[in-house]
Amino acid sequence: MLVGLWLITGGAAAGLFGSLLGLGGGVLIVPLLTLVFNLPLLTAVGVSLVCVIVTSGASAGVFLERHVANLRLGMTLELFTATGALLGGLVAFLLPEKALEILFSGLLIYTSITMLRRGRAAGGPEEETVVDEEVPGEDQFFDASLSGPTYRVKRVPAGALGSVGAGVVSALLGIGGGIVKVPVMHLVMGVPLRVATATSNLMMGITASAGAIIYLSRGLIDPFVTAPTALGVFVGASIGSRVAHRIDVRILRALFVAILLYTAFQMLLRAFS
Amino acid sequence: MTAGPHRSPGADLDRTVGRLLTIGTNAAVLLLAIGCVLMFAYRLDPLAGGPPLEPGLIIDDITHLQPAGFIWLGLLVLLATPVMRVVVSLRGFIIGRERTMSIVAALILVVIALSIVLGRAES
Repeated sequence: MLVGLWLITGGAAAGLFGSLLGLGGGVLIVPLLTLVFNLPLLTAVGVSLVCVIVTSGASAGVFLERHVANLRLGMTLELFTATGALLGGLVAFLLPEKALEILFSGLLIYTSITMLRRGRAAGGPEEETVVDEEVPGEDQFFDASLSGPTYRVKRVPAGALGSVGAGVVSALLGIGGGIVKVPVMHLVMGVPLRVATATSNLMMGITASAGAIIYLSRGLIDPFVTAPTALGVFVGASIGSRVAHRIDVRILRALFVAILLYTAFQMLLRAFS
Repeated sequence: MTAGPHRSPGADLDRTVGRLLTIGTNAAVLLLAIGCVLMFAYRLDPLAGGPPLEPGLIIDDITHLQPAGFIWLGLLVLLATPVMRVVVSLRGFIIGRERTMSIVAALILVVIALSIVLGRAES
């Protein structure tokens, strides 16, 4: 029972941190299960993908009802993230565990750098992309029908390519892929940050499902580890979304970056041990 | 041509899909929570390895208050929720005569079907 409670607590911490800092939580769950509970990496990735679906389902519903997430843009891009996840899920079983651990360490370091940059940018006004003039030669259907009332979606093919990459990383390493999708939507496609974050959250559900189905088929989703962890993530993410506006995340972000870098170091040690 | 993404002919698709996601996730989490309580009550060690998925046993396990039945049902509901979201969206797009979005939604379902087929084929 004690182990079960620790899994719930760990999941809740990952869900809370993830929700406060705008991450899916998978980036914390995989190291938690491998380094603390000594589970094989692929089992941890399978559990983490289920937790990503929980996080997405809990928040994306609200984002859609409030019309923050862009359903049509999300569905167009998730066709590509799901394809990437299908590929990633198949490739994950061909790679040695050490290679995956090294890749995951790289992901943790990349996430740390992204968090530090986000910290520096915080406080400034959110960059809103305004509707601009029709650009001749651009894709008429997608640019127009995927755009929102205050922004125009641009460079859909580039966004689709980035989405395939996000899907591969998601299924390979058990994360939601927001760390790739949000910058692609915001910086490449001209989607406002708030809409990009909410839409990425929506897309995580189907992306993680495509990957999780492959892990489930291979018997790598352990129900007794997954249930308490996912339950904890749900509780943590729910609390996080309620208190997020009352918490100054600057100290939290610094602590998070320190944890990520320490975890990357431990993961590398494990890979080379 | 420049209409926003939130116009949905007939019903409010965003709201319908949003509610579906919330209800599906909450139902799945409730089943997982029941499974966890039973797992603790039976003093099962989560790290000892749970039973594999056997769909034919789920109902039997639930009627006998076995944690695996509730947990597997919860996990299946959870995995099915985003897929159902695509199905409901597809229906909305077809009703709204949004041809391209209908094709996109149908293709997503094809990718999910491929995951099931390829996952089983390689296992």
